[in-house]
Amino acid sequence: MHRVFRNKTAIFLFVAPGMLLFALTFLVPIIVSGYYSFTDTLAPGTKVTMVGFDNYTNLLFHDERFWLALRNALLLGIGFIVIQHPICIFFAILLDRLGGKAEKIFRTIFFIPCVISVVVISKMWLSLLDPTFGMLNKLLDLVGLDSLKHAWLGESSTALGSMLFILIWAGFGWGLLFYYAGVKGISEDLYEAAQLDGASGFRMHLKITVPLLKPVIAVQFTLAIITALKQMETVFLTTNGGPGDSTQFLAVYLYNKAFSASQYGYANAISVLFVIVCLLATYLSNRLTRSDATDF
Amino acid sequence: MKKYSKLARASILTLAIASVGTLAACGSDNSSSTSDSSSGASGEGKVTLRFFSNLPDRKSGQGLAEQTVIDNYIKENPNVKIEVETLAEEPFKNKLKAYMSSNEPIDITMVHGGAELNTLVQAGYVKELDPKEYEGEQYNFLPGVYKSFTFNDKLYGLPRNSDYEVIYYNKKLFADNGVKVPTTLTELLDAAKAFRDKDIAPMSINGKDLWSFGEMYQNLVLRYSGNQNLILDAIDKKIKFADDENFLKAAQYLAEVRDSKMFQDSFMTADYGASQNLFTQSKAAMWYMGSWEAGMATNEALPEEFRQNLGVIKVPVADGGKGTADDLLAWNGGGYALVSSSKQPEEAKKFFDYLMSANQWAKTAWDTGAAVPAQKYELTGTESEVQKTLTDILVNASSTSGASAIDYGTPKFKDDIQNALGKFFSSKQTPEELLSALQTAVDTQ
Repeated sequence: MHRVFRNKTAIFLFVAPGMLLFALTFLVPIIVSGYYSFTDTLAPGTKVTMVGFDNYTNLLFHDERFWLALRNALLLGIGFIVIQHPICIFFAILLDRLGGKAEKIFRTIFFIPCVISVVVISKMWLSLLDPTFGMLNKLLDLVGLDSLKHAWLGESSTALGSMLFILIWAGFGWGLLFYYAGVKGISEDLYEAAQLDGASGFRMHLKITVPLLKPVIAVQFTLAIITALKQMETVFLTTNGGPGDSTQFLAVYLYNKAFSASQYGYANAISVLFVIVCLLATYLSNRLTRSDATDF
Repeated sequence: MKKYSKLARASILTLAIASVGTLAACGSDNSSSTSDSSSGASGEGKVTLRFFSNLPDRKSGQGLAEQTVIDNYIKENPNVKIEVETLAEEPFKNKLKAYMSSNEPIDITMVHGGAELNTLVQAGYVKELDPKEYEGEQYNFLPGVYKSFTFNDKLYGLPRNSDYEVIYYNKKLFADNGVKVPTTLTELLDAAKAFRDKDIAPMSINGKDLWSFGEMYQNLVLRYSGNQNLILDAIDKKIKFADDENFLKAAQYLAEVRDSKMFQDSFMTADYGASQNLFTQSKAAMWYMGSWEAGMATNEALPEEFRQNLGVIKVPVADGGKGTADDLLAWNGGGYALVSSSKQPEEAKKFFDYLMSANQWAKTAWDTGAAVPAQKYELTGTESEVQKTLTDILVNASSTSGASAIDYGTPKFKDDIQNALGKFFSSKQTPEELLSALQTAVDTQ
């Protein structure tokens, strides 16, 4: 068996199908996309005219909507990291401390949003946040706070905030799952030792749990940024980037440019920049979170 | 040594077979559906046609009319099977573009005239038609209805309806609240205010889809200027939006519409269905929509009380405007086309011609009260009140526009102008800012 794996031809042949599949499904589309990004074609199959770097210069220097979409995506990423993840860690620790049947029940409850289809989630939040029939506004009415009522997703001032809330809520279960697994991996002895030393509660978790979760946090950090950049379905199904671009996100903008505005070449330029932004974000987040593994 | 190399060979062989299997599986999705229909075609003389439509509701309105014609055809041609695929408006448009990109061999598709069809034509996805074939009694098309389906003097589709913008209203809500049914734009604002005071949404609109804003702006320009071609000339770059004061007046009125909260609170997240639901559940007093919704009056899925109180009015006139109530924003938006990549073009054309015959689509759509056809139709005497009013509006029209402004330019223009209007309605932009955004959309199309 060892000899087979030392044989270069064998290695090549084993790897070839996988590489071929990778090339066909990743590299080729990216290269084709790169080609189209230098054209002004309306859609595949229509006339192709090369326009050089026009699409890129327009995109980088004359397209406010692109920058707005990128800003919103990054805001969402920050929202994930600053709001969603600390809550996830907190609940992961709580769950772990809970133990027994309750732990299992809550674990399931928290994960439910992740198994529900995005369409259902989108329609549900559209209804909950509806200004006329929505539960949120009815609740505000009930407690006498009707001055706070809004068309949450339909007003420029509140749409982005509401959208971030929905997305943070919807992704909560996944984050929790990762951190929960991380917390479960921490040896109970450490807590006992810390307790003997007089540490307890919040301080104990801040000094023990969080540092030991570092590798998980590092991975989650990168994933959060990528998820934020790729965000598409929920936005498309609720506001489609509106009202007036206030919830415009990169992937939705790209989709609408390609298929509604028939600016296929331009949309491909966006997608190429999109790939670059994603790579850059991954690189940066890796650099930021890279540290030596904590030993214990 | 020998043993190992045998193992190596065996595993490589297995892998090779597996990878071929995987690759073949990748391609199977496309080929299976096409081979089905082609084997069907050659098999026992059976033909399967693929029909793509934007009418998912097959039990009422236009969807029912369309399905009725399909069923009629199958009855008369038992060897033909028609596979119908339907999606709601916006997803339909996007999937059709995806089909176009992959040159999917569907046979007949619904198409939107103007900008949308233009892209399909440029991609060579739809077939050119010979207008001579569709002259005369059998088809009976009204004059001038091919405008949105003709590019470079070539015809690529046939219209299914006469589309024109009207305001549907709920008679009971108006009567109960003592509101006058508006005949002028000022009265329309008064009505909006009156309903707002009673906590009723004055007018429902599908703001998420954005296009109704475009129709409304075109309608207002028409009411102020009395000139059907004014806005089309602006899109053709013959004049500028700043050149004619009527553009500004129309934009100022839009600002009043926005500031008086004429639309329902959730209008920017309401798609077509949501805006219609609000109206059909009597939660909104008016609905700004088109003649293609004539079927509401006979749709038994809707509450009886609503149907009895459904009325329709012309878009009110502007005080001091040059347009009259009979200047109609009318065009032919929806239609059908033959797909070039069809595997059985002759059979597809046979069905297409049948569908477009005056005694099929036009008659069925009218008789079921689903829509106002683009072909001559005869009154049967059993029409609903709504249908009669809609016919009157069309017959008495002193001028018609022939094109919807948002579809008059490129798809990019449509996207830009719709977004400009969406932005206007969801911000505090001034009418002047709107005009400059519209001008930019024209200049960069």
